[in-house]
Amino acid sequence: MSAGQTQIIYQLARADFLERVRRYSFLVTLAFTLYLGYLGATGRILLNLGDYQGSHNAAYIGGFMAYVTAIFLSLAGFYIVKNAIERDRQTRVGQILAASPMTRISYCTGKFLSNLGVLLAMVGVLAIAAIVMYAIVGDGSGFSLFPLLTPFLFLTLPAMALVAALALLFETIPALRRGFGNVVYFFLYNGLLSLGIVQFVTSTPHPFLDWTGGFTLDASMAAAAKAQFPGAVVNSFSLTIGKLDNVAPHVFHWNGFQWTAEILMSRLFWFGVAIGVTMFAATLFDRFDPARGRPQLAAFQANGASEMAVTNTRAPAETFSAARLAKATTRFRFGSMFTAEFQLMLKGQHWWWYVVALGLLIAETATPLPAARSQILIFAWIWPVLLWSAMGTREARWETAPLVFSSARSLSRQLPAAWLAGVAVALLTGSGYGIRLVFASDERGLFAWLVGALFIPSLALAMGVWSGSSKLFEIIYLLLWYIGPLHAVRQFDFMGVSPGAAAAGTAYYFLAAAVMLFVAAFAGRRRQLQN
Amino acid sequence: MKLSINGVSKLYGRSVWGLRGLSLDLGPGVLGLLGPNGAGKSTLMRILATVTRPTQGNVSWSGTDILREPDAVRAVLGYLPQDFGIYPHLNAIEFLQYLAAVKGLDTKSARKRIDELLVMVNLSDVRKRPLGGYSGGMKQRLGIAQALLNDPQLLIVDEPTAGLDPEERVRFRSFLSELSGDRIILLSTHIVSDVEAVATDIAIVANGQLLAHAAPEQLLHSVEGKTWEWTLTSAELPAAKQRFLVSSTARRAEGVQIRVVADAQPAPSALAAAPTLEDAYLACLAAHRAGVTA
Repeated sequence: MSAGQTQIIYQLARADFLERVRRYSFLVTLAFTLYLGYLGATGRILLNLGDYQGSHNAAYIGGFMAYVTAIFLSLAGFYIVKNAIERDRQTRVGQILAASPMTRISYCTGKFLSNLGVLLAMVGVLAIAAIVMYAIVGDGSGFSLFPLLTPFLFLTLPAMALVAALALLFETIPALRRGFGNVVYFFLYNGLLSLGIVQFVTSTPHPFLDWTGGFTLDASMAAAAKAQFPGAVVNSFSLTIGKLDNVAPHVFHWNGFQWTAEILMSRLFWFGVAIGVTMFAATLFDRFDPARGRPQLAAFQANGASEMAVTNTRAPAETFSAARLAKATTRFRFGSMFTAEFQLMLKGQHWWWYVVALGLLIAETATPLPAARSQILIFAWIWPVLLWSAMGTREARWETAPLVFSSARSLSRQLPAAWLAGVAVALLTGSGYGIRLVFASDERGLFAWLVGALFIPSLALAMGVWSGSSKLFEIIYLLLWYIGPLHAVRQFDFMGVSPGAAAAGTAYYFLAAAVMLFVAAFAGRRRQLQN
Repeated sequence: MKLSINGVSKLYGRSVWGLRGLSLDLGPGVLGLLGPNGAGKSTLMRILATVTRPTQGNVSWSGTDILREPDAVRAVLGYLPQDFGIYPHLNAIEFLQYLAAVKGLDTKSARKRIDELLVMVNLSDVRKRPLGGYSGGMKQRLGIAQALLNDPQLLIVDEPTAGLDPEERVRFRSFLSELSGDRIILLSTHIVSDVEAVATDIAIVANGQLLAHAAPEQLLHSVEGKTWEWTLTSAELPAAKQRFLVSSTARRAEGVQIRVVADAQPAPSALAAAPTLEDAYLACLAAHRAGVTA
């Protein structure tokens, strides 16, 4: 690589990094990271190996915090950094860069380094939190920096490198660039984490399948526990959020990793995967050429100045004549506003989206009620996630706010119509199940279903209005959906489909939450209008 | 029908003033708002369109304070911002129908008006094509159409001719003139010829302050007998530019024809010329800059 290209990579990474860390949103991200560090440092997050827990020496704290960091930032970090190319597209800086001698590889490497820089800034905060944690809850066995920081270096860093590279890759694939990619990553994240489970199945460490290093950590700690408690059965490895007094019955001493060649090679392997993913992304990167990708949207993103832009060839109207214009009559009808919002919400969906939605609807009516409840509705209400996630964000995303917000009573007219359109999508996509409940006279189930249909768009609207982005809802909704309805954790089951959820009255809490979220959305939009 | 702007100021951050104590009273007609980039024109437009609030001062529409009751003006407002977006998956009809619903227009009458507006802005043949494929000029014409959807009594257009080809610009200007009889139109631009063609009043803004508010004739009168033209060599041009307020230059076979605004005859061969609005605008800005420097 020439010195010129190296300089380009450095300047690209530097400019992108500075642009990000000087944004208000980065401060918010850091605040969340600090909060996570606080939870760890004050012992509110615990790492247990069944009935065994490590003594809080420097090595244990380092390993534990590095693992927490890797798990948390591998998910949240992806959504935080997945906007490096998009920002250049939106600011149209990309057009300038595309006309420069910069190569695809230089650009993607620069963006990868910037992504990694942002993630490492957060890792740094959590590494400092680990030192603070030792000062607060350390076992006083003697502070040592090396065993505390090496897990961050060898476990967390390669994991972050892969996150940085995957975020870049998703941005270079048109289909994964936006909300759909956010959903796909959520499942990919879970899938990648699950790879390490092979270790439990085969009872042999497989560090090359262990992306975050968690299973490697588990193997090392379990070995220490078994050495100190012969005959100990250490078959679980879990992070729990709780109180300091919620400790496991047996405490073992773990003095840190034996950084074997195999472990180091496995961590280097994941770093290499990250580099490979970055290079692959470079081959897919469109270099801001609007001729590649989705034609209509691409042309729009190029500010209309592309060969694909629609041209009208008809001769212009003779003269503009105000006298010929029909009179405009003001007569607001909420039905018209709702129809317009509903149409806007559904516009741009592919035919296959409707086919799948219809298939799920038929399945809701055709499968036995328990299956419709525990399986079909769950998927019927994840399918429109991208329709809901656009709620409250369209005006910011498409820069139509000056047009919409300068209209009379947009707060009392447009916002409720947008919310109702979201409710309509939930009711329609879940209507097969809802009708079944009516015929089954399952009043509690029906109530929970209705509350779910109100809760989802309320959450979407509030998140959209306050964050200005669809990402926040996509992450929070997916997490809620994954924990609540999918894994039947009743407290998070906003659909009321887990066993006993409807009877337990969880729906009342979600109804209250829906009301509060709608009020929050209303307040957020009012704030937007006033500012 | 009256728009009153009283001592309006806008502070960005802690120390950057976008506007400083600007006051204007407007009645029916076209007010051309002229000023250099960063003068505060768009800030003023956004305040009048109730998209942003001033830090100080107030604005009233026919006696109603629009900061307290923004809907009073929003109901009769047509606004074309300098930068605006569109929904790329909608077509022109759907987009205008959406905004008609947002503006609270009757569906039936709106449909007819939308059809006519699309003919007028010459988009009727592409009305069913997704907006994502529109060129910059087409998008701008769609913006003009949406601003006229509700037959506004107050029409605020910020750099409306940006991106339009010369033919469309001329047609838009004549349309604005036609509309101006019974409504207030604010036209913000830095293209003096746009204002020259349609404005019944002109306001010149610089550094967030109102420098002048007068009829075009009054502004022209202010530079009457102060506009001069003569021809010099290319070598003499840089020195002339240093000494005089040059409003235009043009290459001629015998040299460079220069046009300047000056109180006294700038050169023995200089001849008095009929003043233009551009001369008046430049003289006003130069006087302001001289005052600031002094």
